[in-house]
Amino acid sequence: MLEGLVSQESLSLNSMDMSVLERLKWVQQQQQQLQQVVYQSSNNSHELLQILQFHGSNNDDLLQSSFSPFQMLGSGFGPNYNIGFGPPHEAMDECISRTSSCHMEPVDTIEVLLKTGEENRAIALKNKRNPEVKTRGEEKTEKKIKVEAETESSMKGKSNMRNTEASSDTSKETSKKASEIQKLDYIHVRARRGQATDRHSLAERARREKISKKMKYLQDIVPGCNKVTGKAGMLDEIINYVQCLQRQVEFLSMKLAVLNPELELAVEDVSVKQFQAYFTNVVASKQSIMVDVPLFPLDQQGSLDLSAINPNQTTSIEAPSASWETQSQSLYNTSSLGFQY
Amino acid sequence: MFYDEAMMNTYNMVKQRFIKKWINTLHMLDSSIEHPLNVTERKNAIRLSSDLAIAATRSGSTVWSRALISRSGNKTTNKPMARRILKKARNRMKNRCNTLRRNGNFTAKSGTRKRTDLLKSLVPGGEVIDDKDYLIRETLDYIVYLRAQVDVMRTVAAIDLVTGNLTNDRRNK
Repeated sequence: MLEGLVSQESLSLNSMDMSVLERLKWVQQQQQQLQQVVYQSSNNSHELLQILQFHGSNNDDLLQSSFSPFQMLGSGFGPNYNIGFGPPHEAMDECISRTSSCHMEPVDTIEVLLKTGEENRAIALKNKRNPEVKTRGEEKTEKKIKVEAETESSMKGKSNMRNTEASSDTSKETSKKASEIQKLDYIHVRARRGQATDRHSLAERARREKISKKMKYLQDIVPGCNKVTGKAGMLDEIINYVQCLQRQVEFLSMKLAVLNPELELAVEDVSVKQFQAYFTNVVASKQSIMVDVPLFPLDQQGSLDLSAINPNQTTSIEAPSASWETQSQSLYNTSSLGFQY
Repeated sequence: MFYDEAMMNTYNMVKQRFIKKWINTLHMLDSSIEHPLNVTERKNAIRLSSDLAIAATRSGSTVWSRALISRSGNKTTNKPMARRILKKARNRMKNRCNTLRRNGNFTAKSGTRKRTDLLKSLVPGGEVIDDKDYLIRETLDYIVYLRAQVDVMRTVAAIDLVTGNLTNDRRNK
């Protein structure tokens, strides 16, 4: 149903004679339809790709405005693209909770997921003209998403950013191959109405697009950035967030200095394993850390408990200090007690 | 679970690597400075070791990690220790920073420019980056790792609090 609508509208919209008003109305219609589609079905990647591509065939402003529902539901789509769980409603809740300030949540998923969407858009921009090209581009984007999913799953041992960078690299490679196949030598970008078409302004525009893309990623990483529009405001938020994090590091190091008279972390060598267990066992990461800490020793597997109580176990680092031994024993012997602060 | 499992795993692995390195750097620092220390000096030492550890966790390809190591290397009196962590990258970074200082500062012309300059001053090594696109990419990466650092430090501080209370109770008994 939607495919028919899409193809029909594309023909009428490719003529530059259409007024801006009409275009805006059409985009609003599409937005509503999109939202309906999204709410109805959760595993809709094929149609969404088409819609994404089709939106990519119009100018960037409209695309940005129509892309905002995707941004909101990005985390809902992402699992659908890559793994396939998580209904959109949860994503909506998450977005709402994310806009609350001073609440830190790992948002690393969004980068990759949005990058998936962004790469689709880039490909769509490149393959603007032909409807045939569109279908070929469709296959490409699907291939790309699979490639990204594969690279993601195969690179668990590496860092987050390396993950996204590598996946974007592989996607760039596939896009290059595809463009070769289609024998397009240049990037065809249709100039908007009333805009200069010389090389410099095009290059400038491409550069600005890249920057705005990056700003979008940052928007999702930095909480509370969704409300602010404009580069200056977003930069303000980002600066604020970085300053906030740096101040937190400062404060936490002061706290640790106060708590540790001997300049050693009370959690050391042997407990590194427990930390690993703690971090891998964190399923309910939404809870505050303070709540989790009392549960931390209780969540241990049996073998780790034994290793914790036995301080003579050799580890990859050095032998624990005397203070740590007493501390660890006291910590695990009294793990059944409730902690109150 | 809202997040992608794979993402969470990589984030947790980042945190694990960070804490291992942090313990290492703290030990190194502990052996190289003279005791006793007051609170401020202890805080600086902990902060330094933490920054070096997070930069080492992200070792290599980012400007901010190399700049952080270079900057921290200048602060510590014991330079060999910093050099031990990331040799080549640190020297590379140092040379770039020197050339920039020679070129002088720019006055901010517009609001965006002012803020970009401020962001450059916040992100370690940002002054060296001219391309705004690259600066934002670096900021992104830096924020993720800064978050990891804060998360781990918060956990360690919480556990410290717990063990501190317990030892106090034991002593008071």
